[in-house]
Amino acid sequence: MSLPGFGTSISPEESAVTSSIDIPAFSEWRIEVPFRTYFKFKVIKGVAEIFGTELPLNVEIQFCGVKYAIYAPLSEGCTIEYATTPNKENMTNEVDDVVEYLSEETVMKKYINLHLGLEGLRQQISDHNIINSQKAKNGPRVLILGGKCTGKTALAKILSSYALKMDSTPILVNLNPRDGVFALPGSITATPVSDSFDLECAGGWGFSTTSGTLYHNPKQPIVKNVGFVNFDDNLDLYKYQISKLGLTVMSRVEEDPKIKSSGIIIDTPPLAIKDISLIENIISDFEVNVIVVIGNERLSIDLKKKFKHKLSSAQLDIVKVPRSEGAVEVDESFVRRVQEETIKEYFHGNYKTRLSPFKTELEVRDYSIYKGILSLDLASTLAFLPAGDSYTADGEGDNDKQEENSLDKYYSLLSEPSPSNLDNSILAVTQLAQKNMLTKDLLNTSVLGYVHISKYDDTKGKLRVLLPFPGAFPRNVLISTHIGFSD
Amino acid sequence: MDDQSSSIVEDYAQSLTELTFNSRPIIDNLTTIARENPLAAEGIIDAITKRIYKCIPDHKLFALFLLDSVCKYAGNSYNILVGEDIFHLYSHVFQYSSEQNRKTKLISLFETWKVTKTKGTNFPLFPSEQLEKIETFLNKAGYLRQKSNSPSNDLSVKQLIGDIDRLLPIFQNKMAHSSNQKLHDRFKALTQLKALLGTQAMTQKDLQAVQSQLKTIKEQELGNSAITPVPTPAVTPRATPRATPISTPGKPQQATTSKAEELFQILVNSGLVNVEQAPVPGSRPVYNLVQPKAKFVPSTNQIPSNSTLQEILNSNLSNSISRLVYGKLKFDKLMVVSKQISVNFQDFLNTNNSSDSLELLYDAKSSKCSICAKRFANDLEGSTKKRLHLDWHFRINKKLANSASKVQSRNWYLDDFDWVNFRDDDLLEFSTNTGAIGLDNIKKEDLGINGSGKPSFVQVPPSDTNMNNKCLVCQENIKASYNDELGEWCWFDCIRLPGEGPDSRKIIHVACFNEANKKRGPDGDLNAKVKREKI
Repeated sequence: MSLPGFGTSISPEESAVTSSIDIPAFSEWRIEVPFRTYFKFKVIKGVAEIFGTELPLNVEIQFCGVKYAIYAPLSEGCTIEYATTPNKENMTNEVDDVVEYLSEETVMKKYINLHLGLEGLRQQISDHNIINSQKAKNGPRVLILGGKCTGKTALAKILSSYALKMDSTPILVNLNPRDGVFALPGSITATPVSDSFDLECAGGWGFSTTSGTLYHNPKQPIVKNVGFVNFDDNLDLYKYQISKLGLTVMSRVEEDPKIKSSGIIIDTPPLAIKDISLIENIISDFEVNVIVVIGNERLSIDLKKKFKHKLSSAQLDIVKVPRSEGAVEVDESFVRRVQEETIKEYFHGNYKTRLSPFKTELEVRDYSIYKGILSLDLASTLAFLPAGDSYTADGEGDNDKQEENSLDKYYSLLSEPSPSNLDNSILAVTQLAQKNMLTKDLLNTSVLGYVHISKYDDTKGKLRVLLPFPGAFPRNVLISTHIGFSD
Repeated sequence: MDDQSSSIVEDYAQSLTELTFNSRPIIDNLTTIARENPLAAEGIIDAITKRIYKCIPDHKLFALFLLDSVCKYAGNSYNILVGEDIFHLYSHVFQYSSEQNRKTKLISLFETWKVTKTKGTNFPLFPSEQLEKIETFLNKAGYLRQKSNSPSNDLSVKQLIGDIDRLLPIFQNKMAHSSNQKLHDRFKALTQLKALLGTQAMTQKDLQAVQSQLKTIKEQELGNSAITPVPTPAVTPRATPRATPISTPGKPQQATTSKAEELFQILVNSGLVNVEQAPVPGSRPVYNLVQPKAKFVPSTNQIPSNSTLQEILNSNLSNSISRLVYGKLKFDKLMVVSKQISVNFQDFLNTNNSSDSLELLYDAKSSKCSICAKRFANDLEGSTKKRLHLDWHFRINKKLANSASKVQSRNWYLDDFDWVNFRDDDLLEFSTNTGAIGLDNIKKEDLGINGSGKPSFVQVPPSDTNMNNKCLVCQENIKASYNDELGEWCWFDCIRLPGEGPDSRKIIHVACFNEANKKRGPDGDLNAKVKREKI
C-alpha cells in the first residue's frame, strides 16, 4: 500500500533549491503539479489565495497532483518561495516537471463582482429575515453551468470561500459524480461551508468528520449515491438522487437560519442545452434563482429563451461570466488519479492527518448487495424482448420480483457475487438497515459511508474489506458502485 | 414683575447647586420659595429640570426629591408644568441611580405619586398616562410586581413602546450634541417603529424580535462602541416597594445588577462618566459627567449616503438592526451593490468598482491568524472569535503532539434527518456546546460538571497520598489544591473519567473533555455501537 507523503518526508540533503517568485497585483501564478512531484511553498510576503481560500504567511504548504492558480488579490502583490521534491512513491513514468507561469489575464475581478452581487442579495435577505422572522426568505440559490473544463468547480470554490469570508455559510452542492466532494467519487453531496477548505487535501476540499482531532475543522456533508462517475450512465437514477438531495437540502435551508439567508451554490457536471430537462430538474429541486453560465454565450442565450417567463417575472437571473484562461484541459488519467487520491484519503487520511481504517472479512450472504444499472445495459436487454412483452425476470420468488420491478431502472440485486464484479471495488453503505427494507427506501436513503473490497473469496463466500474504522459493521444494505480502486 | 421673577429664578438655580446631598432643610426651603412665587413657576421648573438632567448622577435623585416636594406642596401650576415630562425625568434619574436608591427611594417615590392628589383638588398629581408609562417602565425593568397573571417574560406592545420612549430621549439628547445624520435616521426609524407598534397587532415572536433589536440599539447608543451583549436575566430581580421614608438613606441591600446599573457601568467604561474615588477603602466614589470633545460618530468607517431616508423606507428598518463595525461596513457597501444589481446583475459584473469593496474580504478584517490565515474583524465579535480561535489552535496542537490521541478514523456520514437538524457550529472552534455526545447517557452531576458555573473539581481519593496527577488527554501536570469549602484536597477544572469509581485517579480537564466529545458524527443506536471511546 502506498501512501502519499509517508516515508518521503524531507531529509535535508534531498531538499531542492528554493526559488522565489513575485506575483504582481491582480495576477495569477498558475501551477500544474504532476503526481510524481511534491511542490512545497510558502507565502513570504503579501496576500495570496487559491480559489478564494487565503494562504497563511510563512507556513509551508505541500501539493501533489494539482492544477491551481495562486492569485494576488491586493495591490501590493505577493511573494512566494517554493521548492520541488520527487514523490518516490509514485513510480509511473509520467512527466515530473511542474508547469508554472504568471498571467495577468485573470477573470477574478468579475468573479469578485459576482460574489459581491450575491452577498448583496444575502445581506438583503438576512436583514429581511431579522425583521420579518415570520415570513423569512431564502438566500440566493446559485446554479453554475458551463462546458467541460471551464472552471465551474473553481468558481464554486471561490464563491463559497468568499461568502464564508463575509460571514455567510452557504451550502455547496456538488452534482458532478466524477468528483468526491467531502465524499467519494460516484456520489453527489451537499455541504455547508462553515470553514475554509483544506487545500492540502485531495481535490482541495478537506476532511469530513473523524473520531479525533483535526488540524482543520471538518465539514459535515450529506451524501447520495450515484455509483457512476458519469452522470449519464443512468440518468434516471441521477435525476432521482438529485431530487432527493434537493429535498434534504431545502429542508436544511428551512431549519437552519444561518444557511437560510446564505443560500446554496451548485456545481454541476458539464451540461449543455441538450440537457435542458436535467437543468430544469435542478432548477426546480433547488429553487434556483441565479444561473451563472461560464464562458458559453450560446448556452446563456438558449437558457434565457427557455426561461423567458421566469426572467420577466424576476424569479430568475441569468448572468454569464468569462471562462478563466487558467482552466486547463484535464485528461482522463489525471481525473482518475485525483479520484484515487480521494479514495485513499477517505480511508487512510493524508500526510498531515493519518486515519486508521480497519481490515476485516464479511460473510457475503449476510448482506444484500445492489448494483446501479447502466442505462445502456438495460436498453440492450429490453431491445431483445419481443414487442409488447413486458419485462419480467424469471426465477423463483415471484413476490420478491414484483417488488423489485419498481427498482428496475435504478438498481438490481447482485444475485451472484463474484470476484469479477466485486474485487477491487468500492461499496457504498446505505443508511438503510437490511431487515424490513422496502424498495422505495433504497432509493431514498443516503450514504452512511464506504467500504473497499480488496478480494472476494467465492469458495468461502467471504469479502475481504477495508472499513473506515474498527468496530461493529452495521447490517445495512450495500450498493456496489462502479468505482474501482486497488490499494 | 418680569425682572423680579427672573432674578428669583436665578437665585433659585444658584441655590439648587447646593443640593449635593439629601438635605431636608434645603429642600423645604426651596419648596417654600417655589410656593411663594407662583409667577416664577415656569422658570423654577425649568431650573429644576435642567438640574436633574445636567447634574452628576449622584445628585440627580435629590433634585428629583425637590421636584417631588415642589409639586406636592406648592401644588397647582407646578405639577401641571412638569406633568408631561415626569416620565422622562423619572426614567432619567432611574437610569443613573444606584440599585439601592432605586429599590428604596425611587420605587416608593413613584408609589406616592400614584396616590397623591393635586393640592386642594381631587385630580391626580401627574397625568395618568405618564404614570402608566413609568409603571410599564418599572415593570419592564423588573422592579414592580406585575399585576397581570401573564408570565413575566411575555412582552406587551406597551412595554416595547415604553422601551422606545426610553430610548428616544437618549437620541434626542445625542442629537442635541451632534449633527450626525445616522442619529437622525435611527431616531426616525424608532419613531416609525413606535407608530407601527401602536397601530398593528403583532405576534409574540415579532415583539421579541423588536425587543432584541431595541436592546442592541440601546447597547450601541449608550456604549458608543462595541459592548458585550447583556443577556436579559431570565428572572429579573423584583423588589417590593419598601416603606422606608423617602429621604432617609436605605439600608444597604445586596446589589443585584440591573439593566440601569449596567448601562451606567457602560457609561463609566466608555469614559463618558468620570469616577474619582479616594484610595481609601470605603470612600464614596465621585462621578462626573465628561462631555466628549469629539462629536459622537457611531463608526469611523461609514460612508455618508444621500438617500438614507429612502434606504430606511426601502430596507424596511434594516438600518435599525444593530451591527458591529464590520457588519456596518458590510451593510453600507452592500447596499450600494444591491442597488446596482437590482437594476441589472449582468452590468454590475462588468463594472470595475469592486476594488472599493475588496476591503470587505481583506483589510476590513485586518486581524489574520498566523497559523491558518483566517481573518477576523477588529470589533468585539472579531476579537472574541480570534481569541477562541487561537485557543483552539493551542488545544489542537497540544493534543496532536500527544501521540496517543492521534489515532483516529473517519466517521460515518449523517442520515438525512440528522443532517437537516445538524448545526455546523458544532464543528467549529467557537462551539459553546458543552453537552457533547457521549455525555447524553451520563448524568452531568456524576461528572462533577456543574451547570451553574461552579468550578469543577475532583476530590483526591482519601487513600491517596500523591497530590500530583495528569490530564489523560493533554498530559499536563495537575496539582491538587485545598478546597476550603469542602475541607478536602481537590484537582480543579477537572472531571473524573466517566465510568470510573470514586477512588480512581483518572482525570481529564473539563476543556479537554469537551473538545474530545464535540459532536462530530451522528447520534443514535448505530453510532453508540461503532463509536470508539475517544479519551
